[in-house]
Amino acid sequence: MADQASDAMVDRRRFLGYTGATLFGTAALAGCTDDENGDGEGADGGNGDGAAGALAEAEPLGEPVDSTAVSWDDLGDLEGELTIYSGRTPDQIDAAFEALEDEYEGFTVSRNYADNDVQVNQLIEEGEATPADLFYSQDPGALNALEGEGLLQELPGDLVDAVPESYRHPDGVWTGVTGRTRSIQFNTERWEGDAEDFPTDIMEYATDERFQGVIATRPNSGTFRGFIQAMVELEGEEETREWVRAMVEEQDVQLFEGGSDQAEAVNRGGDDDPIVALGNSYYAARILNEDPDAPIDLAFTENDAGCLFSVAGVGVLNDLEDPELVAEFVRHLLAAEGQEFMMEANGEYPVVEGVDYVGELPDLEEINPPEFDLSDFDMDLQEAQNLLDEEGMTV
Amino acid sequence: MKPITTYFDSDGRFESLGERLGETDRSALALAAISAVIAFLVISPMFWLLWRASTVDPARAYGLIVSSQTATITLNSVLLMLAVTLFSILLGVPLAVLTTRTDLPYPRFWTVVAALPLVIPSYIGAIAFVSMFGSGGQIDSLFGMTIPRVDGLRGATFIITLYTYPYVFLTTRAALLSMDSSLVDAARTLNAGRLDAFRRVTLPQIRPGIAAGALLAGLYAISDFGTPAFMGAGVFTSTIYWEFSGFAVEYAALLALQLIAIVAVVLVIEAGIGSDEDASGATGAGGAIRLGAWKWPAMGFVSLIGIVTLVVPVAIFTNWLVRSVGDPIPALEFQAEFAANSVYLALLAALVACAFALPVAYYSGRSNSLVARVLERATYVGFAVPGVVIGLALVFLGTRTLPSFYRQGVWLLVFAYVVRFLPQAVGTVRSSVLQVDTATLEAARTLNAGPLETFRRVTLPLILPGVIAGGILVFLTTMKELPMTLMLQPIGMDTLVIVIWGAQNALAYRYAAVPALLLVLISGLTMVVLLRQEGYGVG
Repeated sequence: MADQASDAMVDRRRFLGYTGATLFGTAALAGCTDDENGDGEGADGGNGDGAAGALAEAEPLGEPVDSTAVSWDDLGDLEGELTIYSGRTPDQIDAAFEALEDEYEGFTVSRNYADNDVQVNQLIEEGEATPADLFYSQDPGALNALEGEGLLQELPGDLVDAVPESYRHPDGVWTGVTGRTRSIQFNTERWEGDAEDFPTDIMEYATDERFQGVIATRPNSGTFRGFIQAMVELEGEEETREWVRAMVEEQDVQLFEGGSDQAEAVNRGGDDDPIVALGNSYYAARILNEDPDAPIDLAFTENDAGCLFSVAGVGVLNDLEDPELVAEFVRHLLAAEGQEFMMEANGEYPVVEGVDYVGELPDLEEINPPEFDLSDFDMDLQEAQNLLDEEGMTV
Repeated sequence: MKPITTYFDSDGRFESLGERLGETDRSALALAAISAVIAFLVISPMFWLLWRASTVDPARAYGLIVSSQTATITLNSVLLMLAVTLFSILLGVPLAVLTTRTDLPYPRFWTVVAALPLVIPSYIGAIAFVSMFGSGGQIDSLFGMTIPRVDGLRGATFIITLYTYPYVFLTTRAALLSMDSSLVDAARTLNAGRLDAFRRVTLPQIRPGIAAGALLAGLYAISDFGTPAFMGAGVFTSTIYWEFSGFAVEYAALLALQLIAIVAVVLVIEAGIGSDEDASGATGAGGAIRLGAWKWPAMGFVSLIGIVTLVVPVAIFTNWLVRSVGDPIPALEFQAEFAANSVYLALLAALVACAFALPVAYYSGRSNSLVARVLERATYVGFAVPGVVIGLALVFLGTRTLPSFYRQGVWLLVFAYVVRFLPQAVGTVRSSVLQVDTATLEAARTLNAGPLETFRRVTLPLILPGVIAGGILVFLTTMKELPMTLMLQPIGMDTLVIVIWGAQNALAYRYAAVPALLLVLISGLTMVVLLRQEGYGVG
């Protein structure tokens, strides 16, 4: 089985080639980095505040990574053992770890999988005693939370520069590795009309009577709180409160505890199940992967919080045995093959220019997510959560 | 039955009594000290909670405690606990009577059927039921017949009851098997009706057994996270998790302390109901109740429970196995090592739990002192606290006390299991200690056996079945435990439930099928071993 998967990867890699920057890539990224709130300071200066960890000085063992994506062949060899705490699930990233272990004899990844939020809490409780070298997270909020506790260290300059500023922390203490958008999942058999018939404005989902009693969301995820934060920034706090209140009181929104459960319910399509759900797109993709005839499809809003583009990414813990190895490992994730593995396994968008998006979903250009600087965008989770608590959207 | 000669032990009676008292005092003191150390160890994670909660701004803490949300989740949690306890008794006691006191055909088979739901993790039951019931569920699509969907507080009550009533069943059954049934016969000869005899003679005797099982069921209900969360019931566990997932650990800790406060009240109340009655006595088969034509409805009742709790989930796992054809996910591929890891961890946890339970249970079974009672009750607290809370507490304590051994080896994880599941062993060992006739021990002592020798040669063999039963309960619950395993396992040491978790997250249920079926199979076989201990202190 493992061999089959990596064969498929190799084919895909060969097929894709490393064709350099595409129009779509540069356009989307240029849009995002051209951010009015951008405070300019941060990584580019690399103004080491003296406390820079050993990692930031870890020179590339081969080529440095850059924004046009290098190949694994250009990078230095990986040798040794890395311990990774992952808030992403094994199906999402294990293939990439395995490919790297196959590529480099003498390189092993000790993987520790658990829920994203549990990992953050665990890392905070472990403090400096953590065995983890690296945390691979579902969302920027979790990485920001660790950064807030002073648990992460700065990444090397070439790594930081390879990723557009909007997809990483300004000081380079974490970087996005892949991206995804929020979406509208719907049951194709129960929804009258097609994907075109969905409002392209997320605010309408709280008022449109077609959604009354049949819409669902999952409020206890990092991406949902990110979505609420984005809405606050884009529409204002009062409007966001009104949206949450209307979803709860007028639309009688069904709340799910897990993203998988929610997508399953939409797919099941019973009388009591939701027809429409707000959530990440990959859940629908997974169901379609298991059963191509499943009655589930996606729609997207335009240029608002409903199609927020967010990243999954990595942060490196303070105490490392081998900073070179850690740095080189992250370079591998950001190199072309690393990016392609994620696209393949999760249907995610690459964050590095020069890697084409290949997959079922519409290009980011079509979806037109709001131009947010995820790093500058201060995801104050507690605030978002208080808002949800106060308006009664809790599970 | 006390050998009558013990009352006429004349030679040097007073002298030896005096000696005995001296010895007893010393050994009781040692026992109390050991019990205290164990109780301290297993409640030590709660100090982390206190410390964490103390960092909450007092105004915010007060606001949180008196908020309407807290009132709602408190009410929901208490309702869930009471309802699960009540329904577990309503299911467990009749089933226990049916399988021990009547001429139900194939009693062993039905006993296994009635006990087996304990081996299925309730969250797996929840997944199975949601996909089975309701409009659009599998029953609907197969038979065009809609069974109302189960969700919310009622759904959580339903599911948790189905998978925890075996606690009551097992403890009640053990009490029934070991009670003196000649009393029932006596009552019957005095013209008491069956129900009357049950109410006035049997019930008082098995009440501590029922109470012990009901306590475990209730505490499990209030600490279960997966099912209420899945069913959308707002209770303490899901709210604690919600605060955790917002990285507000100190608020979560505060809520967990409130939960413990409620549990403390329950433990005190239960201590009154299940109070020490010397349960020792002659056991006798007694006359079985003749079911007559009621045999069929009785078997129908047990089968129905077996079908709902066992056949449905197993059918669904099997269906997963054959149903879907997605891209292969090598990371979720089954390996025999997962099963070996699960069994290894569960065995270790069972052994350590028994070692911890013995002194605590023996002390509290032999002494009526308040100290003994408090120490015994203290070991129950961990059972009521959600796994994720215990897990985080031990992450903190583990990295502070023995950082170089943290996540090296399984010691911290095994300790976590013991903190959580110890009461199951304490409960069973304690009731078997209560059943040991004091006269037997006194006889041994008059033959000049020292306290340790008496324990080794007389008491231990008598309570061994109870110890084994307790160990098996710990084994079964450890096999299906998820959150602490995810947090504390040596990195990379995956178990059956960890793979089920991964497969469920990936919506690739076919990978969950084999581990889930194996989990049920291994636990089921273990349950058969447990039931072979019958007649002794399962409870």
